[in-house]
Amino acid sequence: MIADIGQISLLIAFGAAAYAAIASLVGAVQNRPAATASARNAILVIFPLVAVSSAAIIYSLLAGDFSLQYVANVSSLGMPTYLKVTALWGGQAGSLLFWNLLLAVFLFAAMLRQWRGEEHLIPLVIFVLAVTQGFFLLVSNFLENPFTRLPFIPADGQGLNPLLRHPGMIIHPPMLYLGFVSLTIPYAFAMASLIKGDVDDGWIRITRRWTLVGWLFLSLGLILGGRWAYDVLGWGGYWAWDPVENASFMPWLAATAFLHSVMIQEKRGMFRLWNMGLIILTFCLMIYGTFIVRSGVITSVHSFAQSPIGPYFFGFLCLVFFGSLVLIILRLDQFKSSHHISSFLSREAAFLFNNYIFLSILVATFIGTTFPILSELVTGEKMNVGEPYYEKVNGPLFAALLLLMGVAPLTMWYRSSAQRLQMSLRWPALVTTIFIAVLYFVIPLHGWGSPLGLWIITFSTILTLLEFGKGTHARMKGKGESVWVAFSSLMARNRRRYGGYWIHLGVLVMAFGIIGVEFYQQQTQIRLATGQSLSLGRYTMTFNGMREYAGADDLLITEANLSLYDNGRLVKTLTPRNELYTRTRQPMTIPDLRATIGEDFYVLIVNWEGFSANAATFRAYFNPLINWVWAGGFIFIIGTLIAAWPDPVDEKVKAAAQISALQPAAGD
Amino acid sequence: MANVTWTTVENEVGSGGINKMKLMVGGALLAAAVLLLIVNAANGSTQLYVTVEEYHQRQERYEGRDLRMGALVVGDSIQYIQLTDTTSRLEFTVVDTYNNPQYEMQVVVMNEPRPDLLQHEATALIEGHVGEDGVFYVNPGGLLLKCPTRYEEADPAQHIGKQ
Repeated sequence: MIADIGQISLLIAFGAAAYAAIASLVGAVQNRPAATASARNAILVIFPLVAVSSAAIIYSLLAGDFSLQYVANVSSLGMPTYLKVTALWGGQAGSLLFWNLLLAVFLFAAMLRQWRGEEHLIPLVIFVLAVTQGFFLLVSNFLENPFTRLPFIPADGQGLNPLLRHPGMIIHPPMLYLGFVSLTIPYAFAMASLIKGDVDDGWIRITRRWTLVGWLFLSLGLILGGRWAYDVLGWGGYWAWDPVENASFMPWLAATAFLHSVMIQEKRGMFRLWNMGLIILTFCLMIYGTFIVRSGVITSVHSFAQSPIGPYFFGFLCLVFFGSLVLIILRLDQFKSSHHISSFLSREAAFLFNNYIFLSILVATFIGTTFPILSELVTGEKMNVGEPYYEKVNGPLFAALLLLMGVAPLTMWYRSSAQRLQMSLRWPALVTTIFIAVLYFVIPLHGWGSPLGLWIITFSTILTLLEFGKGTHARMKGKGESVWVAFSSLMARNRRRYGGYWIHLGVLVMAFGIIGVEFYQQQTQIRLATGQSLSLGRYTMTFNGMREYAGADDLLITEANLSLYDNGRLVKTLTPRNELYTRTRQPMTIPDLRATIGEDFYVLIVNWEGFSANAATFRAYFNPLINWVWAGGFIFIIGTLIAAWPDPVDEKVKAAAQISALQPAAGD
Repeated sequence: MANVTWTTVENEVGSGGINKMKLMVGGALLAAAVLLLIVNAANGSTQLYVTVEEYHQRQERYEGRDLRMGALVVGDSIQYIQLTDTTSRLEFTVVDTYNNPQYEMQVVVMNEPRPDLLQHEATALIEGHVGEDGVFYVNPGGLLLKCPTRYEEADPAQHIGKQ
């Protein structure tokens, strides 16, 4: 009964989306506000309808209604309640319904806004949004329906995979989905502007915060995914350049390039075509990513099984890409700008280089991800590129990006003086060189890659910190404020700029961590009898024995007891364990670690030979600076929140502009 | 630290600037550099994707080459052997299909943990080469197992019925 209500609700939602698409088109073509208003109402109805469908699935998961194929696939009677709820996005059909729900939330919020100044775009915005939501509802209704029933009712379901029973994995997919769906709003406004032939910066200004919020969620999704891999997968890493990881990384790259280049359009009226292209690219990559993850067209450790939805997603991708391309070609003359880049030593040129690098990383990642398809088309043989490819291409490009991150904020709009730029870079370069030289002999650093990388990161970090320092100093001097008041006022007064610097700082801190792990990770695998030890880094680990006990649900836990010594001093007792879900016979290796700001000592059980043998095999990792990756991620997110937070000055300016716009009308 | 002030040359905008040709040449040079990076990185980083059947049908073509294979794990064949304190050997067999497979491939992974997901019906993605003994030797870190809950069984009833 409940499932039937959910199914009917989902069908009505699809009907509402289809109606909204038709009505909004009528509203736009025939200039009929009543049709547009009706379409808007239809969009508003979708969210409660999809919410009812989602609630019906959650109810079925909680109640254990295993007559539903989806419920039987991803849940079981013994699962904790919170996991039953999160199983909504534990499989293909449910996650598509969840995607629909999040998209409907964003559309609902978008429809509640007034969009003052851009009302003429709304009919076409509704059209684009309705088509997008309609497509996903079509998939959920007719191709991957979570309400599909089994021909029989099993006594229990197969349960959610233990690997996904981690807070990072519970939050990670919703974050990525939120990032993806929120980018639909700027795309819809861009398309509406393009169709209308009104390609000034109105659509960018009005959707800037939506783009930033989408980007924030995408970033959070990527960081949380990395943390999950590190905590759960037991290989001591956080990123493997897997096609599915790349699928979420590529839209992030395009959106990051877009967020930088829109500043040129806002400031100088340039790069209109480029920005339009970037938002289309971002949206297309979002659909492309969904296509490769959910179609099974590319083999990945993360992808869903082969599914009939692949051709439909490909069709929708083609529609979006070629439809957008045709519109751009038709409006090409609208994009002409009388402005041009004045100098290579200018802020706009720096943004252009930044965009070149982002897009180069994107192209390299795209080629790597689709290499099996491309190689089969060209040579007839399906080939794959592994991690070394990505490291060789993207390593130098990321280094260039990090360097630009430090130098670009020193440039001025229009033109900067080469002499002054040189002066402001000289001292930070000298300090950095001395610092790296000291590190080279003290640590010591090895090879040339890590010293060069550390030089670039340190240099850019100093330059970024100097930006904070110069701004604070200027306020202290000009307004007589204390250090703290000057610093906090600086953040509050120019959130976009200083939020951006915080983001840069977060990336640089993450980059320190990545250098540490990539170049200086140590690992060992060894069999230890009780009382024996292994040494790694400056740590010594002694195996004290094993114990076996029953855990929650149907778990059988085998736990090792290890004493960890740092230069001879006992610092922690580590208890890595193997958990066995006895009903499904699914094992799960849970590592344990000692985390400090400098490094992690990370250990997992590889093989246990039973109580009689008194021996087990362990794999241990010494991961220098790994926690800088997570700390940098935290700074990054804080920076994005600062940048996205409404600026009171901006709001006042907007309010004043609206009042002045209304005054002549009142006079009429 | 030098206290820097910047000159904003607004009035020069109309008079000078970088012409399109310079920008295009700069862009082309950058694109060429990136292309060179990509080609250079792809050389030596590629693996040929083959199925078990394809390998056996054209063995001479694939000998000594870096291969990537995606195949189903035969649960009964999985063995983890601790050879010495620091050396371990993980062995299992993979097939393209469980329904009367014509060919199978023995896989050996040295000094790696046994992955949690290595079990019957799991899809293993293996990277490495086939030795003269016909065994697939997996590169370090070259054994990956498909994350099972993010994909669903082609026939879920079959899976549930198995329990």
